[in-house]
Amino acid sequence: MEKQDRRSFLEIATAFIGGVLSLAAGIPLIGFAISPAFKKGESKWVDLGLADRLKNSRFKKVDYTFTAKDGWVKATKKRSVYVTDAGNGEWSVFSRICSHLGCLVRWDESKESFLCPCHGAIFDKTGAVVAGPPPEPLQKLETKVEAGILYVKES
Amino acid sequence: MSYAGIKQFLNERLPLEALDTHLRKPLPKHINLLFSLGSLAMFLLLLQAVTGAFLAFYYSPSPEHAHNAVTYISEEVPFGAFVRGLHHWGASAMVIIVVLHLLRVVLYSSYKAPRELTWIFGVLLLLIVLGFGFTGYLLPWDEKAYWATVVGVEIASTAPGLGDFVAKVLRGGSEIGAVTLSRFYALHTIWLPWLAFGLVGVHLFLVRYYGSSGTPKNTPEEMKTGKPFYPHQVFEDVVGMLILFIILAAVAIFVPVPLEDVADPTNADYDPRPEWYFLFLFQLLKYFQGPFEIIGTFVIPTVGMLLLLFLPFLDRSERVVLWKRPIALTVTSVSVVAIVVLTILGGTSKKLETTEVAVQETSQPIEQTQGATTPDPETEEIEEGEAVFDFQLTEEEIEGAKAVEESQ
Repeated sequence: MEKQDRRSFLEIATAFIGGVLSLAAGIPLIGFAISPAFKKGESKWVDLGLADRLKNSRFKKVDYTFTAKDGWVKATKKRSVYVTDAGNGEWSVFSRICSHLGCLVRWDESKESFLCPCHGAIFDKTGAVVAGPPPEPLQKLETKVEAGILYVKES
Repeated sequence: MSYAGIKQFLNERLPLEALDTHLRKPLPKHINLLFSLGSLAMFLLLLQAVTGAFLAFYYSPSPEHAHNAVTYISEEVPFGAFVRGLHHWGASAMVIIVVLHLLRVVLYSSYKAPRELTWIFGVLLLLIVLGFGFTGYLLPWDEKAYWATVVGVEIASTAPGLGDFVAKVLRGGSEIGAVTLSRFYALHTIWLPWLAFGLVGVHLFLVRYYGSSGTPKNTPEEMKTGKPFYPHQVFEDVVGMLILFIILAAVAIFVPVPLEDVADPTNADYDPRPEWYFLFLFQLLKYFQGPFEIIGTFVIPTVGMLLLLFLPFLDRSERVVLWKRPIALTVTSVSVVAIVVLTILGGTSKKLETTEVAVQETSQPIEQTQGATTPDPETEEIEEGEAVFDFQLTEEEIEGAKAVEESQ
């Protein structure tokens, strides 16, 4: 009986020490791996260029760059948006990232639509979904014009 | 020391005789070439591990260097194109062989008791093979790599509850970049191989422990009256490996591995398409729209995988002949046909043609635009579809260009 108790104790103690070791090593390691998921992205204003140059009643595709931290790298990020002021100074800047699964949409002038090359999504000129799988409209970026320069908010 | 002495020395210290006895155990009487598929999958896993380990000598997992490193391997390193070809086409072969192996197991009911866990570890290995494919094709950092990963991670992000978290953990942040590439490289070369070899170890142990299931032709008496595993089955397996290697080597020599332009997150003309073994999923996603998106991205793949994983517990009948198992036959056939049809549709789907593209512009960083003369939008407008490049020439390049012009 005593032997049995001793054996049970040793089994439980071994399992306990194993558990403590696993937790002691596991928690920091898992935290180390998943930490990027808890990092909040910073939003900032990025200049697209001179507003006068970008004025257009039709959509212009604008590629631009900005620097941002990517882990340990200070990287130059490339972005692409469609810009129009509709001829009346009211700016609309649409992200080209399809709200379905992230492919880049293209503006088709004759169809007056944004088309996605991946899964066939179609958005109208207000960014609303016309057809295809996306559950949400195209992202419209916040804009401002300061000192004649058009800015968009990058997040 | 004589040969007999060495043999005795080893026998006293290594259980070689026990291993020899074990390997010479007879197989079931009725067995066929399909029973070599597991060994072929194992061979391909080893080939991928070896070629991958050698590719790692030259590869650099950073967005600045990855594409150049792969170009260097393909174009400058002796046998580089061949080694990369073996690895690339070996991955496709692996998917084919693993799926055929799985179908063989379904065909002969080899997943039934007492082999349920053997099956489950096998299905986990299939997932790992797909994981190898997914993490592997980001590594060249070309257009396909980038966009396939963008879409793949976005698919993960649609999972209810934890989707966004999983996507961020996979990417190492909110978008694909240096951290993502580093993560995928670690997963592809360290985590998944360790997991794969661990699971293969358990899978093989269970296969050897319970023995081959054989074909349904075998009576209980015939289960242990066939040829011994070694050398008969092993010989057939090795011949299969040789044939497979010859085919792979020929493909690696004669079909160059594609390497597209370096990844460009703003490329307007690129139509993303995944590797052929994910085309069925790519196509499937087109059919579920709006609020039903999650059915294509999450529900069907997850339910499909869970059904596959727990198949032995869903099909508990003792019938093993396929034509006496109408449900298994129907579900398997429909699944295979659906995957093949979706793959063909995905592979042949038309690329997007936009009839009139928007005017294209490339912004200048603020420090360049400030103080610049405002151009006249009428005269400055760029022709439709004409690309504008945003890089600037250095002073040396301008001087060089002038010198060339003067000399002409």
